[in-house]
Amino acid sequence: MYRFVEHTAELEVELEADSAEGVLAEALRAFAELAGSGEGELVERPVELSAPDPPALLAAWLDELLFLADAEQLLPESADLEVDGTSLRGVLRTRRGEPRPLVKAVTLHRLRFRPENGVWRGRVVLDV
Amino acid sequence: MSELVRIDETTWEIPASARPDMRVPARIFADDEILDEIAGDLSLDQLENVATLPGVVGAAIAMPDIHQGYGFPVGGVAATELPDGVVSPGGVGYDINCGVRLLALPLTERELGARREPLVHEISRAVPAGAGKHGGIHLASADLDDVLRNGPRALPGVRAEDVERTESQGRLEGADPAAVSERARMRGSNQLGTMGSGNHFVELQEVDEILDPETAEVFGLGKGQVTALIHSGSRGLGHQVCTDYVKLMDSRLSAYRIHLPDRQLACAPASSAEGRAYFGAMAAAANFAWANRQSIADAVRRAVRSVLGEDAASGTLQVYDVAHNVAKVEVHDGIRVCVHRKGATRAFPAGSEDIPVAYRGVGQPVFIPGSMGTASFVLAGERGSLERSFGTTCHGAGRRMSRTAARKRVHGSELRRELEARGIVVRCPSPKGLAEEAPFAYKDVDRVVRVVEQAGLARRVARLVPLGVVKG
Repeated sequence: MYRFVEHTAELEVELEADSAEGVLAEALRAFAELAGSGEGELVERPVELSAPDPPALLAAWLDELLFLADAEQLLPESADLEVDGTSLRGVLRTRRGEPRPLVKAVTLHRLRFRPENGVWRGRVVLDV
Repeated sequence: MSELVRIDETTWEIPASARPDMRVPARIFADDEILDEIAGDLSLDQLENVATLPGVVGAAIAMPDIHQGYGFPVGGVAATELPDGVVSPGGVGYDINCGVRLLALPLTERELGARREPLVHEISRAVPAGAGKHGGIHLASADLDDVLRNGPRALPGVRAEDVERTESQGRLEGADPAAVSERARMRGSNQLGTMGSGNHFVELQEVDEILDPETAEVFGLGKGQVTALIHSGSRGLGHQVCTDYVKLMDSRLSAYRIHLPDRQLACAPASSAEGRAYFGAMAAAANFAWANRQSIADAVRRAVRSVLGEDAASGTLQVYDVAHNVAKVEVHDGIRVCVHRKGATRAFPAGSEDIPVAYRGVGQPVFIPGSMGTASFVLAGERGSLERSFGTTCHGAGRRMSRTAARKRVHGSELRRELEARGIVVRCPSPKGLAEEAPFAYKDVDRVVRVVEQAGLARRVARLVPLGVVKG
């Protein structure tokens, strides 16, 4: 589950899933809603990221999606990921398209990514 | 909210004793209504957080257009003592050197007449908008390095007077292209000359009211004159530079024994390897932004040439170009400091050697865009800015409502009809984007500029009203 939360100038996203991988999948879906979807053939990209801690890994994942959209016009569709503590690896599936002009950057403000009472939760504020 | 102490009619302070981690007071320029507006969000908490930065001096300062951001509030100013005070990428923001450039056309609104709509449409065709790459100038790597080092001077055919009438003459010293990552280069290589999205725009305007005739004459502005206001920044290149260095500094906080109340305030001593690298990359991104606004200004002149002819194009003069998201090394009260301005504009007064010779008798021009469809202001820097705000004033109206709330209140097509009913020509690719920038989503710009004038930071010179708007 993902939902957008009111914020005066920016956009806060709350994420929830059964697993760390599930939260990253929800983050992809939220980003895709903002950036739009591509067309044509599927473009697969291997992805391998690491960060100093789990919240920074969530930010790094969204940074990766934003970079591919802005620099290469690759809009995310789905991913198969494995999370191991503070790193992730897997395959990202994208299609080419013109990203909708909204997200500028992924901030560390109010960043969260952790299990709580058996559920994984994430929170990230995007600069829009 | 911590206890606010009223200093005078438009100045408030939260004492440094309000929190054990604050090193200096927090100072807010506002009137009662503006204070009420920000009471409901985290603006002042964020300002108090800024007051905890290592090396911060004087006060953490908020302008009347303050609103809640991430890390620093928007409309915030912080000076850190060099060499070892910190530099914080979040204190500049992701859109490094987002700023405003004003062009003055050699004709009045009456003389423009029915050519208003064709001119707005031609500007929208000439200036690529949106976040994508289409329409931007593709730069080979060597050319990009030249832009990163030299700003507008790296572009062919640039007028010398445009460069002269740009803050820092469009080139921050110390720019280091090698400190800009490959990812930032990839995002920026095709985006030069594009406006970007969100609140970026080119607005065609009329000088509606002259408030300081002598200064307006020095700035080349007269009642009824047509102007073009350009609002854009460093595009994906700047966004990536900030992302890279927030991440780097966040990972080095413990090495420098820096404890922060908000991770987005990530910082490093300006004298450290990380601090110096960020400054080199930030300066390069700032130069890219000035070149970007130069390219957009050139496109506006091409549109003027196409619709109004060669004489009008050659007579379209640049009044000035100001940055409102930047960090600069300056000397205040004899101390060398790094002034972070995030959503705040330098406002140096008459006599400053850092402003064009032509303006040294009156102070530097400052441009305060209002919300879409409302007035904008031309201000001039006043001496009070040096005494009270590290030579700084406000940057805009300041948001007061979220984008979602704005979209719930009005549909883009309805807003377009309202603006067009008032004679304002609107070119915007997205009705949703139009609704998000609705005038009621922002504070009253007249109120904001009255506060900075009353506080002695800047004085009003002219009021501009929109004739047409091209949005990203």
